[in-house]
Amino acid sequence: MFGWRGKILRVDLTNERVSVEAVDPQTAKNFIGGRGWAIKYLYDEVDPAVDPLAAENKLIFGTGPLTATPAPTGNRYMVVAKSPLTGALSCSNSGGFFPTEMKRTGFDLFIFEGRAERPLYLWVNDDEVEIRPAEHLWGKTVPETEDILLEETDPRAKVACIGPAGERLVKIAAIMNDKHRAAARSGVGAVMGSKMLKAVVVRGTKKTPLAEPQAMRELCKLVRSEVNADVKKGSSLREYGTAYVPPVTSEMGILPTHNFQTGVFEGVENINGPTLTEKYLIRAKPCFGCPIACGRLTRVDDPVYGGEGEGPEYETIAALGSSCGIDNLAAVTKANYVCNELGVDTISMGVTLSCAMEMYEKGILPESDVGRPLPFGDADAVIALIRQTAYREGFGDALAEGSYRLASNYGHPEFSITAKKLEFPGYDPRGSKGMGLLYATSNIGASHMAGDLAYPEVFGVPEKIDPLTIEGKPHLIHRFEDAFTVIDAAGLCVFLSVRYLFDPDINLWPTRLARLMNYATGAGYTEETLLRAGERIFNLERLFLLKAGFTKADDTLPQRMLEEPMPEGPAKGHVVELDKMLPEFYRLRGWDEDGAPTDAKLAELGLKR
Amino acid sequence: MKVRLKLFATFRRYLPPGAQGSACDVEIPDGAQVSELLSRFGVPDKESLIILINGRDASPDRILQDGDIVAVFPAMAGG
Repeated sequence: MFGWRGKILRVDLTNERVSVEAVDPQTAKNFIGGRGWAIKYLYDEVDPAVDPLAAENKLIFGTGPLTATPAPTGNRYMVVAKSPLTGALSCSNSGGFFPTEMKRTGFDLFIFEGRAERPLYLWVNDDEVEIRPAEHLWGKTVPETEDILLEETDPRAKVACIGPAGERLVKIAAIMNDKHRAAARSGVGAVMGSKMLKAVVVRGTKKTPLAEPQAMRELCKLVRSEVNADVKKGSSLREYGTAYVPPVTSEMGILPTHNFQTGVFEGVENINGPTLTEKYLIRAKPCFGCPIACGRLTRVDDPVYGGEGEGPEYETIAALGSSCGIDNLAAVTKANYVCNELGVDTISMGVTLSCAMEMYEKGILPESDVGRPLPFGDADAVIALIRQTAYREGFGDALAEGSYRLASNYGHPEFSITAKKLEFPGYDPRGSKGMGLLYATSNIGASHMAGDLAYPEVFGVPEKIDPLTIEGKPHLIHRFEDAFTVIDAAGLCVFLSVRYLFDPDINLWPTRLARLMNYATGAGYTEETLLRAGERIFNLERLFLLKAGFTKADDTLPQRMLEEPMPEGPAKGHVVELDKMLPEFYRLRGWDEDGAPTDAKLAELGLKR
Repeated sequence: MKVRLKLFATFRRYLPPGAQGSACDVEIPDGAQVSELLSRFGVPDKESLIILINGRDASPDRILQDGDIVAVFPAMAGG
């Protein structure tokens, strides 16, 4: 095989045994890789009704055919499992250096099964696979864990691990890699912790065989030159990272503010990219082989908020900054460091805290339950409560369940700004309506990455469209969801893919992406069959959700988004007219009125219920 | 008449000295188009860029009104 290694490592944690199996070429092609292969295995092997923290759930690390190839940003992996936060799927994505190293060991996928009786870690050193005791690591933070592991395995190895949060089954726990990168959403860290798996360490030296290496190199060289030209012009994320975004979304009136009560944040100038660059940036940091380098290596010198690490990213600034009413960038950066050290999703942490803040200010959440006042803007409370959440101490035990369970326990689920119990990312959908349809229909819940219509609605890529209309959005969300599924499954980063590997047209035609896939794998995709594979993956994920008990009623948004008009700003007066978009979306997807794929659609995709 | 010009991301470099953060207030003649405002500050017009006037999409030939807030940034990717 080319591109793909065609090999899966199965790790039976109950019996502390590993086995290797092959992947057949047709399955490989039909499901692309990573995210796609993972759902195929999960659907075939796991009862979707399973308790996500039970031994019967499976945790899958999936690289794609383009991971560890010359493809720029071919450096990603997906973590797939049934989610303990949502009960739907987790498809959490991360970059950095671990995914490339993992693919270089010669495995496409790791499938973790069962539950160990004692803390363990997996050490994969090319063909040598060992399950090793991890009692000495249990309880350690993410950076401590990585430092110890590199010493006892290989200094050139790469590490993915959980922190104290994952160990304690915190439902918003992340799996961190390379210390500062995160497969963060949907509580994947809790699934890993439920299996007593502390870490995965990889050292790989095998180059990925390519079907047409010369053609691949030429196309990659062309793409890199275009990226470099854009970097030179200042038209890239290199200069300010994703932190450039808060003024843009605030200007549009969609920056989450005070738990999504409004979309305009007065303190936005204090929490933007230029401020980060002036005050805390050491330098830009790329993931493996990436020509963009959107990452931020940062340090804060401050008696209270001092620390060092990577970030913050836009989503973190929105969730732990403006949504919590905090305009102190040092504090937001410190909150980010604490989340990374303890292994917590910054988005869900921030939006769960802002939910608590709104309930506190409205007199629903008593101060005695929290143990301290919790008004919007209290940065010290945020940082203290992140630690408490990771360790499930005091009120942190309630926060650890995510905002939906927290708010429901107080009789007010409407203050949890979630879809399918996954906290919203940094775009208020009342002012970005395509995002509203995306949050309601993504297979993991409210995710911006499942089909990021913010690209055209906010950022004008590939072209700018009106964020306040609903016409044409069902069609676009369908196209974007399928396209982003392909990107995820291939092992690429969206920052490069959307702009440079699709035709510059709103319908996202994957001309270059198909060429890259074929140069790598030799599998003979057309643009159609590649998108069809993305659609196949998305539909299989949907079948998993339906079998897990999800219905059309779950394809919805919080009351605030459907019924409370945006109070100010350019989107003033708007709500999300989801009921006008959803039926057309179902129809375009070939689903029935209840949101279930029809027999005809399944037959077309070669899927069985 | 007066408008407020905000230049985000790397367009920040085109702000005049004395600008506060991302914004500056500008005197412009009545009937001026957005494109004239941009060229006055040297913002490149051959690049893909996004223009918002009072937070809503606008094209370069739009005629400005007194008190408009004009925000401009390069079309790149998000976060």
